[in-house]
Amino acid sequence: MTTTLAEQDDFEAKRHSRLLKAIYVYEAPLRLWHWINALAVTVLAVTGYLIGTPLPGIGGEASAHYMMGWLRVLHFSFAWIFAFGFVGRIYWAFVGNRHARQIFLLPITSAKWWGEVWHEMKWYLFITREPYKYVGHNPMAQLMMFLFFTIGAVYMICTGCALYGEALGIDSWAYQSFSWVFTAVGGNSLQVHNWHRMGLWVTIIFVMLHVYAAFREDIMSRQSLISTMVSGWRMFKD
Amino acid sequence: MIETFYDVLRRQGITRRSFLKFCSLTATSLGLGAAAAPQIAHALETRPRTPVLWLHGLECTCCSESFIRSAHPLTKDVVLSMLSLDYDDTLMAAAGHQAEAALDEIRTRYKGNYILAVEGNPPLNEDGMFAIQGGRPFLEKLRETAADCKAIISWGSCASWGCVQAAYPNPTRATPVHKVITDKPIIKVPGCPPIAEVMTAVVTYMLTFDRIPELDRQGRPKMFYGQRIHDKCYRRAHFDAGQFAEEFDDDGAKKGYCLYKLGCKGPTSYNACSTVRWNGGVSFPIQSGHGCIGCSEDGFWDKGGFYERVTDIKQFGIESTADKVGGYAAAAVGVGIAAHAAATALARARNKTGIDAKIGKDHHEHA
Amino acid sequence: MSTLETQGFKLDNSGRRVVVDPVTRIEGHLRVEVNLDDNNVIRNAVSTGTMWRGLEVILKGRDPRDAWAFTERICGVCTGTHALTSVRAVENALGIDIPENANSIRNLMQLTLYAHDHLVHFYHLHALDWVDVVSALNADPKATSELAQSISSWPLSSPGYFRDIQNRIKAFVESGQLGPFMNGYWGNPAYRLPPEANLLAVTHYLEALDFQKDIVKIHTIFGGKNPHPNWLVGGMPCAINIHGAGAVGAINMERLNLVAGIIDRTIEFIDQVYLPDLVAIAGFYKDWTYGGGLSSQSLLSYGDIPERANDYSASSLLLPRGAIINGDLTTVHEIDLADSGQVQEFVSHSWYKYADESKGLHPWDGETTPHYDPGTNIRGTRTRVESFDESAKYSWVKAPRWRGHAMEVGPLARYVIGYAQGKPEFKEPVDELLTNLGLPLEAIFSTLGRTAARGLEASWAAHKMRHFFDKLITTIKSGDETVANVDKWDPSTWAPETKGVGFTEAPRGALGHWIKIKNGKIDNYQAVVPTTWNGSPRDARGQIGAFEASLLDTPVAKADEPLEILRTLHSFDPCLACATHVMSPDGQEMATVKVR
Repeated sequence: MTTTLAEQDDFEAKRHSRLLKAIYVYEAPLRLWHWINALAVTVLAVTGYLIGTPLPGIGGEASAHYMMGWLRVLHFSFAWIFAFGFVGRIYWAFVGNRHARQIFLLPITSAKWWGEVWHEMKWYLFITREPYKYVGHNPMAQLMMFLFFTIGAVYMICTGCALYGEALGIDSWAYQSFSWVFTAVGGNSLQVHNWHRMGLWVTIIFVMLHVYAAFREDIMSRQSLISTMVSGWRMFKD
Repeated sequence: MIETFYDVLRRQGITRRSFLKFCSLTATSLGLGAAAAPQIAHALETRPRTPVLWLHGLECTCCSESFIRSAHPLTKDVVLSMLSLDYDDTLMAAAGHQAEAALDEIRTRYKGNYILAVEGNPPLNEDGMFAIQGGRPFLEKLRETAADCKAIISWGSCASWGCVQAAYPNPTRATPVHKVITDKPIIKVPGCPPIAEVMTAVVTYMLTFDRIPELDRQGRPKMFYGQRIHDKCYRRAHFDAGQFAEEFDDDGAKKGYCLYKLGCKGPTSYNACSTVRWNGGVSFPIQSGHGCIGCSEDGFWDKGGFYERVTDIKQFGIESTADKVGGYAAAAVGVGIAAHAAATALARARNKTGIDAKIGKDHHEHA
Repeated sequence: MSTLETQGFKLDNSGRRVVVDPVTRIEGHLRVEVNLDDNNVIRNAVSTGTMWRGLEVILKGRDPRDAWAFTERICGVCTGTHALTSVRAVENALGIDIPENANSIRNLMQLTLYAHDHLVHFYHLHALDWVDVVSALNADPKATSELAQSISSWPLSSPGYFRDIQNRIKAFVESGQLGPFMNGYWGNPAYRLPPEANLLAVTHYLEALDFQKDIVKIHTIFGGKNPHPNWLVGGMPCAINIHGAGAVGAINMERLNLVAGIIDRTIEFIDQVYLPDLVAIAGFYKDWTYGGGLSSQSLLSYGDIPERANDYSASSLLLPRGAIINGDLTTVHEIDLADSGQVQEFVSHSWYKYADESKGLHPWDGETTPHYDPGTNIRGTRTRVESFDESAKYSWVKAPRWRGHAMEVGPLARYVIGYAQGKPEFKEPVDELLTNLGLPLEAIFSTLGRTAARGLEASWAAHKMRHFFDKLITTIKSGDETVANVDKWDPSTWAPETKGVGFTEAPRGALGHWIKIKNGKIDNYQAVVPTTWNGSPRDARGQIGAFEASLLDTPVAKADEPLEILRTLHSFDPCLACATHVMSPDGQEMATVKVR
């Protein structure tokens, strides 16, 4: 593929905007995944945080409470949702439209693409007055999605499965398949707990940036963002 | 199968007659009188107890101290009846050889049939002279003794991982056994020290079943190191319930609540403390109110404070926890976003007309 | 070939050099070289600590609340005493007062260590210097029984009992695999016990091995495990809950009963087995008066076992505090560990680097920069040393000095200082023992004196355990169940820069930890341990340490069997570990006895 995504987008946008002013970008399964995923990440972040630094203790008899137990059950349940969602998302990258592949494939060899990342950077730094128009993710967003989300998800799933394996026992599938993670940090699983928790903070930072950028772009850029992830249609303002 | 002493002598071409003469000499030199000679001969002709050579590198001897605490079996019985804790060959006293020569000889006689137990580890800095034995580096002695052993037991966290002397910055470059001896089966029995009954159980398992115990990915016997302390902790119910001691000696501590918030490393420590317990099953750290410090885990000295749950990650260069680094980063990003949003609003207000003009221009183009 | 006079000793290194490396039953970390004259009398002694692990370096930059765990691993034999010293140093630096109960529990644990360590030392590290195991096989069990019953009311004393033990040892020997008893100096003329006494001692060797594991259960109850129980800055981690719900998760009545039972049995064993054996054995060695060394000149004890929590003054400490120098027993000097002119460490003969090695450094300003350099006059090579050169650097042990004096520390030091202070608790048992044996006071300045003081102290400690147990009960009865003070747990409550010193009397002698804390982290940490005092190499002025001094002028029966050397070194209970409790009670496990 010689033409960059941006060129294609540009072409498509120009063609469509003259006629329709809207393009169908995110197909239904992808949108469903996005919102389920958003819920999962939220629950995982909250429960994960509380597993590491629990709430003030509860009094009474142990048999009457299951606070940490529920937190862990929730965490593990939503971890499954997150993990299978991620697998489904990869599947969709193959069968969905080309926008579904954006967060997995970076055109890192394209100088033009990097130029557009730079352009977008300037837009955020108020150096450029106006961003380009994109049908899918802008190159900067694409880069961030790949680094924070795609890599991040793989990282959290691997470290998470390793820790889950500890709970299931050393003969479990999870331990057998993921204990290499412990070896990678030197053998002491305490470090994996810490690195997994670091992932929590990266996730929180990602969510903050993601939400801010979505709202800002929705207002400031020349196309719709938030409603697109609801309806699937990219609306162009000009 | 271990060759008996008699087998070895015969293989080396020594006649039965010489052998019996040797036995009577031995009996005499031990002060037993000639009558004991046939008994010694009988013993030598039948199955010997497995020789164990126990070496010490850089360590604190807590492993040996723990070993003698064994309640079942009693250490006395282990030493007198189960194995032969020889440093050198039994009969060498009678011959009056020097101990070093004895070491050479036992390596030949029991070649491939003795167990080498190592407590502590060799330091590699200063040409190994941070641990001098017989005027030379411990490392040399370790290598020589390991060369012909059947298997190595790495007692404790020193031999298994490096332990305290290998903690940052490891000034002596104390190095665990498996990193200097790579051609022998090594059974790691970590802990600082390991539980006495676990130590004797590992040895007696090997003697009873004549096999090396099944090991986990890090080389520890699965039978004792296959589960976390957390998995079998009697306070686990309090963990699941969310009942914690918040600080030492508080109400939760008095009620025996979970010590997770006081930095207990039970959830990441593989050991038998919560099941076998210590000193004949009397207690274990958590039962006595102090969190587990994870002493059987690799590098536990350098994994942050013993009283923190979310501990330091050294890799950041400075000592800091994920929560500190992450919290500050998130706060910084939050401030950044707020500033950026404000700047955006400002720019938008200032350029209101400009943007309108731009839109107008675009419309014009499209038209 | 040179002679030297120091501290009233005459050193002459012209004779045959005998090397004992490693010295056994203290494991492989100590080496001793002596010169024998034509009559096999020791005329020069050189003691070399042969290991260094660098704990002081490792502690820098760490959380002071964690320091106890690191320092506890200095030694697994005197386990806990370093940890206690460490928490005291940190509490001293941060101004933390501990609750009365914590003081009682800590004392109980420290006394438990005394009882255990002294007992194990006597039977498993030291006894075989006096007891001939092989001779025990020739004993008449009936005579042994008579002997046993004549010295003690300990019930395990029938002829049948001793016959069973003897048969077991016989079977063991006849198996052809002597294991730990192999290669000893059996039959050496320096052994003087009759067979029945040997059998008695060997029997109690095995009994003590069985029993010692029970004493330490007190550590397990309060500290969770032994070796290496857990401690806490500010008190103890073991919450007390006697009355309420959930008491099963804390120190409760059942736990206290267990402690009380162990204390009773410990007192019984020490008073009915250890002490009678000690007296009986000593009776056969009365005229073996060697090994006094520095004990009649320079003795040091920091004192320990505070009666009142947080009061570490001499009046509160049950173990005597003070220093004796120049052999003047009439004056016991006050000691101040914070005074930079008192405790100092020198490295002129140790493998460390100071900017100016003619000077000593107070531990707060101490430096630990290792540098292995045995000099050019050793025999052999740098990594294959045949004999060290005592005029150069020759040990990993630093040379600590008190006001410039080399000092002996340990049970004998404590007893002599207590005696000099006229404390009846220490004076009376000594006088009684000496009277029983028909010996003058001077006799205690010897190898046997050290061994005897240790035995007396084991009994003292066991009885004091009951005292602090009662005290614990009394305080709890008064309604106080506190064990920890956590007011200053959070580092944000600490001064940005502070320093402290903590001390104990470890079973083997005076132990001090000096700490400097900066911004919540350890800035400097130095430990001066008993064996640093006793095993000290020479200093810049050529003064010898306690090990070296004690070996001088001792005749050796057989030049190639260092029995007498081991006997005297063991009387110090050197803290160079004790792997050979089990592995080599014969004293020969790893010995390389080289005679030239």
